[in-house]
Order: sequence, then structure tokens, then C-alpha cells
Amino acid sequence: MARVKKVMLTKVPTLKKEAKIEEAAKLLTSTENGCVVIVENGAPVGIVTELDYVRNLTSGKSLKGPVTKIMSSPVNSMTPKTKLDEALKIIDTKRYRKYPVVENNKLVGLVTKNDVVHAMSDEMKFHRNIQNAVLIIFVLFELFVFAFNTIL
Amino acid sequence: MIKVKSIMTKNVVTVSPSSTVMEAANKIKSKSVSSLVVVDKNKPIAVISERDIIKGVIAKKSKVKDIMSKNFMNISPATTFSAISKSLRGKNIQRFPVVENGDLVGLITETDIVEATRDFTRLHQIVQEIILAIFGLGTAFFLFYFSPLRTVVFGF
Repeated sequence: MARVKKVMLTKVPTLKKEAKIEEAAKLLTSTENGCVVIVENGAPVGIVTELDYVRNLTSGKSLKGPVTKIMSSPVNSMTPKTKLDEALKIIDTKRYRKYPVVENNKLVGLVTKNDVVHAMSDEMKFHRNIQNAVLIIFVLFELFVFAFNTIL
Repeated sequence: MIKVKSIMTKNVVTVSPSSTVMEAANKIKSKSVSSLVVVDKNKPIAVISERDIIKGVIAKKSKVKDIMSKNFMNISPATTFSAISKSLRGKNIQRFPVVENGDLVGLITETDIVEATRDFTRLHQIVQEIILAIFGLGTAFFLFYFSPLRTVVFGF
């Protein structure tokens, strides 16, 4: 089973705790990840997703001020060594889509639900093909021995 | 084979090009969706995501028609799942309005595709286990057939 390290993105948009909401909005739209991780001394302390921003927009709150006002915190993180099936379990219980990856208390990547599911599906396909190839060889061998013995 | 109809969302939240950005944002929040389909006479002409709304707010746009994006692909109920999955992963298209006889009947998003992929993977695992079980029985038969136990097991 592959681990989070294999599927995580290593280029994560980050902002310091002191950043403004406007900076977060700009970063959200200029990157493709759909979220910005808020860090303090290299460790993630919160996450701002596109949804967080829209939610605050519709509730009529001011979208000025520090980014800590709209971020979700504390943040659930994984380590690069987390196995994909464990990662999927975490995703199913926490029901978030994006998780910072932390190693030695430093942010090293970002893992999304979609990437985990697709990686597991690809891995499954690969294993299935190998397994079936081995099975076919076995079956052919058995048939051959069987036929050989019956004829004689 | 996964059918488009079985994985699509049927209650698509739509918005007209002349609505305001705030109306669109409110719809996204109240209906708990990640995107809206912009329709003109029930024909999808564009999509709006949370991201487009943020862009609109930054650029101080007020109408949906100024922020809507063309990053979508109309599909029919007959489109195959693998074609959609390929467009998602290859062309980075995340929203697929389903159009039948010129009318919008559903929407497939990245979430739907991911969930379908998961179900599909699970189904494949079960099928694989059944194949293994049949193979195991066949091999057991094979081994007994050629072993000294043959007379005990088969009686000849």
C-alpha cells in the first residue's frame, strides 16, 4: 500500500498568521489548490478554503482583517508515512477534503481526498492485472498437466 | 459499466447570467453545493464555482455574467464514465452538465466522479476475490487429483 508521501502535493500555498484576508483571497484565486494553509514557524495552525471565504461573504461579515478570523482551526493533518487506506479512513471520519502533511512539526505537503481515491484506484488496477496474469499462467499450467495425464 | 444517469446530481442549482454575485454566493451556501450552472432558457451556458465568486469579489464585479467561467463540458446521458474521468484528470475540467434533448437534466462534479471511482474500486475488489476463490477451488481439485489421496477423495 502506497503512502501519503507518494500522492501529496509539495507546493502548498501558505500564509503567515498575521496575513490579511485579502491576501488569502488573492492566493486562493492565483493557485489551483482551493485552499491556503496558515502557518506559524513552519507548522500549520489553520486552513482557509474557498468555501470558508464564500461562507463569510454571505454571512455579511467584513472581509477585512487578519486571516485568522475566517480560517478553520485546529487543522487535521497527516504525516508522509500515513498509509493511503488509513488516510481514507481519516478523510471519512473528519469529512474534510484537504489535509496538510506534517513531518517533524513542519508543513511538507498537502493531500486531497481526490488524489487519495484516484491513487488507490490506480494501485488496485495495477495489482489486479498482475494477479490475473499470474492466475492465467497457473490455470494454463494446470490444464496442460491435466490434459497430458488424461491422454496418457 | 457506470451510467452517467446513476451518478449525476439531478437537482442542479442554477442561476441566470443577470443575477448578482451575492445571489450566487448565497445559493452556493444555502444549497451546500460547490458550483452553480448558469442557464439561459434551461441551456447551460457557463458554470460558477466558489473560486469564481472570490475572483469576482476581488475584482469588484457584481453580475454573474462577468464572473462565470467556460471551464465545463456538456455531456449526454450516454457519455461513458471513462471519457468523463479522462477529461477530469487530463483537461482539468471539473464540472459536467448533463444535457438531454437540449435541456439540462443533471450535473456531474468532481465529487460524484470520485465517489463513483471509490464504488467501482470496491466492486472490482469483490470480483477479484470471487475469481481468487474459484481459482483456489480449482487448484485444490487439481492437487487432490494428482495426489495419493485421490482414491480417498474421488473414489477412483
